[in-house]
Amino acid sequence: MLPGDFQEPRITQRKVLLLGVIGLGGVSGLVVALALGLFVLSAWLGLPLDVFGFNEGPDQPIEFPHTVHVQELGLDCTFCHRTVTKDAAASIPAVGLCMTCHKTVGDGNPEVDKLRGYYESDRPIDWVRVHRVPDHVHFVHEAHIRFFSDKMGGDSETCSICHGDVGGMEKVNQVRSLKMSDCVDCHRNNDAPTDCTTCHY
Amino acid sequence: MEFTRRQFMTLMGGSAATAVVFQACGVPPDEIKVQSSIQMPEDLVTGTDNWYATLDRLNPTSNGIVVRVMEGRAKKIEGNVDYPINLGKHNVVAEAGLQSLYDPDRISAPLVRVGDRGSGQWEEISWTDALSRLAQRIQGLQSTSGMAMVTDPVGSHLGMVVERFLTKIGARHLVFEPLDRVTLSAAMETAFNHNNQLYSQGRFVMPDFDIENAEYLLSFGADFLSTWVSPVRFARSYGRFRDSDNNRGVFVHADSRFSVTGANSDKWLYVNPGREGLLAQSIAQVIISEGLGDPESVRSLTADGSIDMSHLDPELVSSEIGVEAGKIRQIARDFASHRPSLAIGGGSAGAHTNGLSNLTAIYLLNYLVGSVGKKGGVILNPESPFSDVMPASSGASLDEWSNFVDEIGRREVEILLVRGADPIYGLPEGVGFKDAIERLPLIVSFSGRMDDTASMADLILPEHNYLEDWGTDVPNPGPGYQMVGFQQPVVRPFFEHRGIHHGTRNFADVLMVLSQVLGADLDLSADNFLEILRDGARKIYERGRGVAGDKSVGDFTDFPSFWNAVLQNGSWRDEAARFDSTAPIPPEFPSSIQPPSFGGIDTVAQDVFNLIPFASASLSDGSGAHLPWLQATPDPITTATWRTWVEINIRKAENLGIKEGDVVKVTNGRGNFVEALAYPHPGISPDVVSIPIGQGHSSGGRYSQGRGSNVLSILDTKRTEGTSALAWAATRVKIEKTGRWMRLPRFENTAPELAVDEGGHIIPLTSGD
Amino acid sequence: MVTTQEKKTEEKWGMVIDVDKCIGCQACVVACQSENNIPVNEEEHFNQRRPIQWIRVERYWEGEFPDVKARFIPIMCQHCDNAPCEPVCPVFATYHNSQGLNVQVYNRCIGTRFCANNCPYHVRFFNFWEPSWPESLKNQLNPDVTVRSRGIMEKCTFCIQRIRRTERESGRDGNELKDGDRALNTACVNACPTDTLVFGDFNNPESRVSKLRKKEMDDHHGRGYKMLDELGTSPNVIYLKKVDKEAKESSTH
Repeated sequence: MLPGDFQEPRITQRKVLLLGVIGLGGVSGLVVALALGLFVLSAWLGLPLDVFGFNEGPDQPIEFPHTVHVQELGLDCTFCHRTVTKDAAASIPAVGLCMTCHKTVGDGNPEVDKLRGYYESDRPIDWVRVHRVPDHVHFVHEAHIRFFSDKMGGDSETCSICHGDVGGMEKVNQVRSLKMSDCVDCHRNNDAPTDCTTCHY
Repeated sequence: MEFTRRQFMTLMGGSAATAVVFQACGVPPDEIKVQSSIQMPEDLVTGTDNWYATLDRLNPTSNGIVVRVMEGRAKKIEGNVDYPINLGKHNVVAEAGLQSLYDPDRISAPLVRVGDRGSGQWEEISWTDALSRLAQRIQGLQSTSGMAMVTDPVGSHLGMVVERFLTKIGARHLVFEPLDRVTLSAAMETAFNHNNQLYSQGRFVMPDFDIENAEYLLSFGADFLSTWVSPVRFARSYGRFRDSDNNRGVFVHADSRFSVTGANSDKWLYVNPGREGLLAQSIAQVIISEGLGDPESVRSLTADGSIDMSHLDPELVSSEIGVEAGKIRQIARDFASHRPSLAIGGGSAGAHTNGLSNLTAIYLLNYLVGSVGKKGGVILNPESPFSDVMPASSGASLDEWSNFVDEIGRREVEILLVRGADPIYGLPEGVGFKDAIERLPLIVSFSGRMDDTASMADLILPEHNYLEDWGTDVPNPGPGYQMVGFQQPVVRPFFEHRGIHHGTRNFADVLMVLSQVLGADLDLSADNFLEILRDGARKIYERGRGVAGDKSVGDFTDFPSFWNAVLQNGSWRDEAARFDSTAPIPPEFPSSIQPPSFGGIDTVAQDVFNLIPFASASLSDGSGAHLPWLQATPDPITTATWRTWVEINIRKAENLGIKEGDVVKVTNGRGNFVEALAYPHPGISPDVVSIPIGQGHSSGGRYSQGRGSNVLSILDTKRTEGTSALAWAATRVKIEKTGRWMRLPRFENTAPELAVDEGGHIIPLTSGD
Repeated sequence: MVTTQEKKTEEKWGMVIDVDKCIGCQACVVACQSENNIPVNEEEHFNQRRPIQWIRVERYWEGEFPDVKARFIPIMCQHCDNAPCEPVCPVFATYHNSQGLNVQVYNRCIGTRFCANNCPYHVRFFNFWEPSWPESLKNQLNPDVTVRSRGIMEKCTFCIQRIRRTERESGRDGNELKDGDRALNTACVNACPTDTLVFGDFNNPESRVSKLRKKEMDDHHGRGYKMLDELGTSPNVIYLKKVDKEAKESSTH
């Protein structure tokens, strides 16, 4: 055959099969990509784990049951998260604070023994963070607590607006997405400033 | 497996994209955990900042600072508004203290040398081990005079502990300041201490200068806006002096270098190096001969007219000074008529062979205009409020250093303790200190970082950073009344986690433990430094005068509340306790001053210059070179950073074919040389080259080691007559091109020039009328 | 955080800079580096002409030895009311907020550098490198300020973190914002030893900046001027002319 010479393509069975395979592959690839995209999008807009329905919250070094402390003993959130009404961070209580009760309470409970182990060996507990906003967001608990307690009274009700019913959780998990849209919606609804520099600086 | 180019590119692109995706989605692992500590200190609220008052120990005179502490870490330093010296202001050096606390190259435990001296091989040992090793060596001394201690100028309670320790052990004390105040103090003593009232426990108390209230300021050589004596206090005072609401003052600066201070004067006068005193004499001659001076002072200055000053007439001496006679006359008249007027001198004016007479003549000008002890003039300071605590001493003279080097050579000194000073870096090579210490059997350094002297030590006992440490300060010069500054730790020691056997310690506490081991009784009121400070504060409390913050001492119900108040405010002061003795009587005016003599190359050839070194505004005498903020701070005049440069006149450089960035060799008369990058500029005299002090460390951590060159090393060992201090501005040097070139890192031109047309000006001027 | 109901009038933050008092000491520059987590400018950064200094002190020569003068002027973001940097940003990462601040939103910025090219004052800086510190020096970083990553633009914020903190704390404790409060002042203002820089609220007639503006801008003999005002940027920074007894009403540069 001379170069550039045109010839009718011959349709062989082999070629039809190949086209079919490529077509099927393409379609399934598209489906997978769509599913992935959907997952990424929904994860981006909401809570990644919620998408698959197992938003259980992470395992903690000590299985601390909020249920016992809040529902059964009736402790207020601010009893342990002491600085939440003072400044930016709610703060995780120091081990020493736990020990004010657990020196005597909870003998025989393996989790309490773990706690005492930390205290006696002078080691800090590395809890796994549940709620986190990125570095470029400056969130201040104090201002939010102040605003909502004025509006609805009671600190614990105020906390549950964002954190859900932590008192009823065996394992703490995140209930709101805490994405920017979530923040901005709430700011709009409550007539709070929505200037970028309210949170970003 | 082989790749085609295309496959390779695809794979690379894919992995890069994956990396980007994971980077963007991932949360850094240390942010996933949140720690709960064992105990939470009462004043720690996450997110809340606490500001603690303490003292800045990096400036030549300590300033009061407040340090912002969040979650146990120091975040920011600002001036303490309650502190009488700096009244809320601070400077680059004070600010950079944070980096000295978190210096990545700090020493975290006692070290003992294992390799050859200076080889940098160390082994960590415990404090107990280190102290017993040192005690053993001290006990093994044949005579106690075989031990010497070199320190920075220590004063107040720390000075007291050091003095007692050295007296009891029988060792000698040498105080090291690279650009010492020996000549300055001596000149002020001659000028203002004619009736012997300005002493506190045998040490001269420097006066304060009321620049703020002066109408006319005449300064000679002193770079008081940048590094001289108490720069933050003077800069603040200068700001007020320039206040247009407050009758803006006139400022004339006579200097042989174009310094930051010179740049800010209304008139900068170039004076031939070493002739500042002659200029002051000539000004005095005009004031006296024209009858403009304070009559009583004139009588005692001229010994009732018996001193003939006619040979100092401006017309006769103007060529020697380098300033036109008409200008001298004008300045003299303005100085005498715009009262209150103030004359100050220092820096290179006092660093010539005739420096003492220069400075004396300059300070005596203040009598002529009646400014001594007056508002807007020289404010004499009262003595220290503690009877057993003295102000910091000034440095040892060059003669003392030379003698010391000889003694080391004769093996009369066996143990050298070094604290807060870096003499290997700071002494000129001509003194021979570096060679001599190789003969010393034991060198012990208390430095918290590996400075040039510590790197040659055999044993390092690292002391706390000043932000982790206790202390007091009786500033010299004070603010015109009695005061005591209090220094408290604002954070826990950074190396606390190393445990009690390692980590850093307080220097005074180490000396006290050492004296216990040696069985020497220091006769102190307590056995730890904090208690000694509390006892000092108790004495003030019991005397019942003065204020802490805004509450007078008498109003405190008990001592602990007073102690808390002084720590909270950073100081105690008594504005009523001023210098109240009779005004000093002026001594006789020096009618003749020897011309300066210069070391090194004698002939003034085309390529021979007077070398005027200067303390860099950021690195000061080199003690700030390990702090990256200070390294990266542009020099105000040249905007240069990170390197050593040599300032040379722009026309002269053109003649010599030198352009910016040329590596030039600066050689002194002995053949010692340093290399520096040329920076030609229009502000400097063609007869002078100027090199900043501060770089050229052979050690000191990642930011300073092997960077630039050390101009102090090539200084000739000329002495100032009368004080035998180093005349550091009396060196002549030869400049040669090496043919190499290197970009001078400078700030200038890093941003494009501002678009300015004929109508718009970046710095418009007004005559102010 | 102050909610809109609590707020009476919005502030308009601005600065007055007395060029006559500036000694060129760089205290403001280092204070800014320390407060705002600006990475250390290394030697190569200067050599590549890419150091970051939100506030800088420029030095201008005038004349030649022996009649030589050097003048200093601090320059930072002028927070222009008509800022040339704002309209060119394709993603609205820079905009003017209700308190008169020219704001840079780091998380919106995509690094086109259009704004820096359009700024006549050259006060915007691009992060050409990922900022890095040795581990121990990170202890000093200010938790109130975001560390900017590589590829985004940054500039002077008038220390907005201090404004926000003071607003929040005054809301909590029921105090009014005080003019000249050191917790509210920008880091450079607190550092300046000669009081060259004054920071405050132009909408408060009792503030020091308002009084200075009234005196120096309206008065016939006032020293006030705005830098490159002829470009129509209407900056919120007022400069006061340098006083030189020997000068006629003229200028350098």
